[in-house]
Amino acid sequence: MIPRVEDDYDDEYYDDDDYYDDEEPAKPAPPPDSMARKAVRGVGEALITMGLVVLLFVVYEVYVTDLLSAEKQADATAALDSEWSSNVVTPPPSDPNRQAKTTLIEGKAFAKMYIPVFGSDWKFSVVEGTTDKHLEIGPGHYKDTAQPGEAGNFAIAGHRVGKGAPFNDLDLLESCNAIVVQTQTQWFVYRVLPMSNEVAGWAGNAKSKEAACTGVAPLSTTLGDAYAKTVGQEIVVPTQGEVIAPIPHQVGTTVPADKQARLLTLTTCHPRFSDRQRLIVHAIETKSYPVADGFIPPEMQEG
Amino acid sequence: MYGWIWRRLPGPLYLRIIEAVVLTAGIIALLMFVVFPWAEPKLPFNHVTTQ
Repeated sequence: MIPRVEDDYDDEYYDDDDYYDDEEPAKPAPPPDSMARKAVRGVGEALITMGLVVLLFVVYEVYVTDLLSAEKQADATAALDSEWSSNVVTPPPSDPNRQAKTTLIEGKAFAKMYIPVFGSDWKFSVVEGTTDKHLEIGPGHYKDTAQPGEAGNFAIAGHRVGKGAPFNDLDLLESCNAIVVQTQTQWFVYRVLPMSNEVAGWAGNAKSKEAACTGVAPLSTTLGDAYAKTVGQEIVVPTQGEVIAPIPHQVGTTVPADKQARLLTLTTCHPRFSDRQRLIVHAIETKSYPVADGFIPPEMQEG
Repeated sequence: MYGWIWRRLPGPLYLRIIEAVVLTAGIIALLMFVVFPWAEPKLPFNHVTTQ
């Protein structure tokens, strides 16, 4: 007698257990929904829902606000263009660096800003004011800081993530990069100051001989110790409002306007996606041109 | 929660699917245009000014 071989073939042919079994085995009845089961399911679904809401918020913050802001920026630019083209252009003042102070209206664009190294498509209309509402439109000018071309500190805040993200790449700016500001009557060319690690050896640095760096030097060497802390880029905590003071980091010391440099300061959040710190870029005015039909400053070609 | 909503959607299957899509779209729109704009300034992500 041959002993029965234990095989593990599972095909029907040899499977004589179920072969004649026509009836499907009855499905086990679903266990009744006990309160505990319902509660666990409810909690699980709530957690999944919250996760989806958080993901949606990221989409909103990074993409949707861009769309909403692009529209507002376009409206502000259109309003500025029509204002500039309709007004009789007052001739630029005889001293090109002295501009008649204009009254700025909150939430209204008053200047255009270009950073040629970010590409020719990088342009924003700057509005007056730095509340959330103003910054949705575009970069915002800190009220009570200098106006373009004025002695002191022309300070602008801008978003780094979402809402058009004008200052997304601010950390990539290098010393001597041009930041061009256009008002109704004038163009102002600001250049990023030497970085803190370039200050010491600036005179011996090959970069300082480049044409782009004409007029750019560590302020501590040209204007004295009051400007010792004013370098191309710095990272500060949000409470350090002194970075937008007429002389950055010098609060309380009154310096006559004619002793002040004409600075531009940009502020944005740092690191990206966080508001723990602020990224600050300081630049100094090196040139200005009167606005004329068809004239575009040569600095706009840099990049 | 989702099962509870699904069981309360009236009509045949195809209608229920349409209703579910509309409901989802409505909730997303509510979040995008009302809830998030309200909540965003209160969250520590995107403050760019110094004080």
